[in-house]
Amino acid sequence: MTDTDTPIQVLDAGERRRDERRRFMQLAGGATLAMGLAACGGSSSSSPTPTPTSTGTATPTPTASSTVALDVDYLNFALQLQYLEAQYFAWATTGAGVAASLLTGTGTQGTVTGGAQVTFSTALLGQYAREIAAGELAHLGFLRSATGAAAAAQPALDISSSATGGFTRIARAGGLIGASDTFDPYASELNFLLGAFMIQDVVVSAYRGAIPAITNLLYVNAAADMLATKSYHAAMIRSQLYALGTAARTATDQLSNGRDSFDGVTDIDQGVSGADSTVSNVTPTDSNGIVFGRTTGQALNVLYTNHAAVVGGGFFPNGIISTYFASSDAN
Amino acid sequence: MSTDDQQLIEGTASRPEADSTLRSERREFFRAAFGAVAVTAAGAGALAIATSASAATIADNDMGNFLLQLEYLGAQYYSYAVTGAGLPAAQLTGVGTAGAATGARQVTFTDPLVAQYAKEIAQDLAGHVAYLRTTLGTDGATAQPAIDLGVTATGAFSKLAAGATIVATGGTFDVYASDENFLLGAFMIEDVLVTAYNGASTTITDKTLLSALLGILSSHAHHAAVIRSLLYAKGVATPALRTNADKISDVRDVLDGTGTDVDQGISPTTVSGNLVSNIVPAGADGLAYGRSSGQVLNVLYLNSAAVSAGGFFTAGLNGAVKTSTAN
Repeated sequence: MTDTDTPIQVLDAGERRRDERRRFMQLAGGATLAMGLAACGGSSSSSPTPTPTSTGTATPTPTASSTVALDVDYLNFALQLQYLEAQYFAWATTGAGVAASLLTGTGTQGTVTGGAQVTFSTALLGQYAREIAAGELAHLGFLRSATGAAAAAQPALDISSSATGGFTRIARAGGLIGASDTFDPYASELNFLLGAFMIQDVVVSAYRGAIPAITNLLYVNAAADMLATKSYHAAMIRSQLYALGTAARTATDQLSNGRDSFDGVTDIDQGVSGADSTVSNVTPTDSNGIVFGRTTGQALNVLYTNHAAVVGGGFFPNGIISTYFASSDAN
Repeated sequence: MSTDDQQLIEGTASRPEADSTLRSERREFFRAAFGAVAVTAAGAGALAIATSASAATIADNDMGNFLLQLEYLGAQYYSYAVTGAGLPAAQLTGVGTAGAATGARQVTFTDPLVAQYAKEIAQDLAGHVAYLRTTLGTDGATAQPAIDLGVTATGAFSKLAAGATIVATGGTFDVYASDENFLLGAFMIEDVLVTAYNGASTTITDKTLLSALLGILSSHAHHAAVIRSLLYAKGVATPALRTNADKISDVRDVLDGTGTDVDQGISPTTVSGNLVSNIVPAGADGLAYGRSSGQVLNVLYLNSAAVSAGGFFTAGLNGAVKTSTAN
């Protein structure tokens, strides 16, 4: 079977993941954590079927034989992004964060900076926001359950309008606001939608990029189901912004450019403005109608708001608690 | 929905044994199994599940062609509705018995936003057809089958609408007559495409193909959200749009098996005194639903039994995957 546009990206992802894993193991003195993760991954690794899952002896040996990552590592990566989404929508819709019992786990638990309730004067928008908030909370519970004892704690999150936080950094990078302005995603319905836009699309692209590397079909299927849900959410956000008219559409184009400035030279991000006034661009796709994907490293470039290989920043001041904790250096 | 209601759509005279191949890809099994994995971690139960889950029972090329057949349906619906013409003839050739897409026509959109969304979706689906045809290759891609997009009383749209009691039994439902009807027609198709790709994620073994199909899955989910949120929003002024979508969902659930609720309408629920929309058809775990290929065909053939043609595909599908599940 031939393919035209995706293998390069997938292969690149594999290369970067190997690098990231190696760095992590070296930096974290990984033995303990590696064993802990491997123990959880054992449900598939000790399967009688010859599934190519890493075994409990996953060592930081940078050889080709270590290229198959533990599925639980990807689930924990997804869990880290999930804390960000769940907290943003929880704060915006209720004025309070996620219950403390859903934030514990391995690694150094962090706190949330920022977060505020949005005043929804448009009834429909409030209904959509509450639906998304419930969906994100459900995903958080699901991922914590799926990772079990290996679930990583919530990392430090910055969902405020601070100059170093993700919202302001992306808004500045895209020229939506001035270089010394700040962006408050809770100040208005439009700002809330733009804040959601900044996060949601990135998570969709990260899922699309990461799922093919998962080996256990149960996890593949569950992650595909979550990808679908997150795509619905993203389209709800994007179509609301499109319907608001030219100013909101232009704002998304600017934020898209901001994201693109972090994740590499290739334009894999799109705002909602169409090619002309007769067509929308709610779905960010290539010419084949296929939604774009990002490697874990590229997703972190955007979320850390840094085009270089770093281990924190933006929405995650101290980085995420994950094997795949570093952004890509390929940009 | 009663048993009688499904008879309205299509008789269920023949009910051969459910094919074990199709049954093994039932995705609700995976949903249930996944919970077991999480709870037991490395328990024996999880091992057995992993074994079953690893058993891909449909070849990648066959699944790819199954999805291509579905894309012909979606792409032609949007193409005709937006432009009044179908896909280029060069995009319809291939293995199997070539058929025509009949009965569709251009919609005169009144809401410019609906027109702009429809045009975007039409472009994306034409892209999906082109991608899958290229990927499957000139010797492997299947031809467009006969597709019924008409609005007569015996057409698939009308029969589905009648089954949902949106129109009377034997009545007609013209999906090209208005923005609202077009959206309901899109609702009938688009959600099913999302579930088909979710289901396919359990069988595809080629990682490159899987990556692309995930991108198409995401695309369809974006589209479905646009359609569902438009119906939801227009349902403020026209409540029947929400209830009609709910009824269509109910019919799909009857067609694809009574054991599990894998389909949802859009009407809101009230949580802590606040209305909450239901744009995303997901379970309590936030996971969007999927269908096996057989369940997908139950819906599109408008038949809860194991058959090889009907509904939108009057002559069945081209390719190896063409039989609905016996429910």
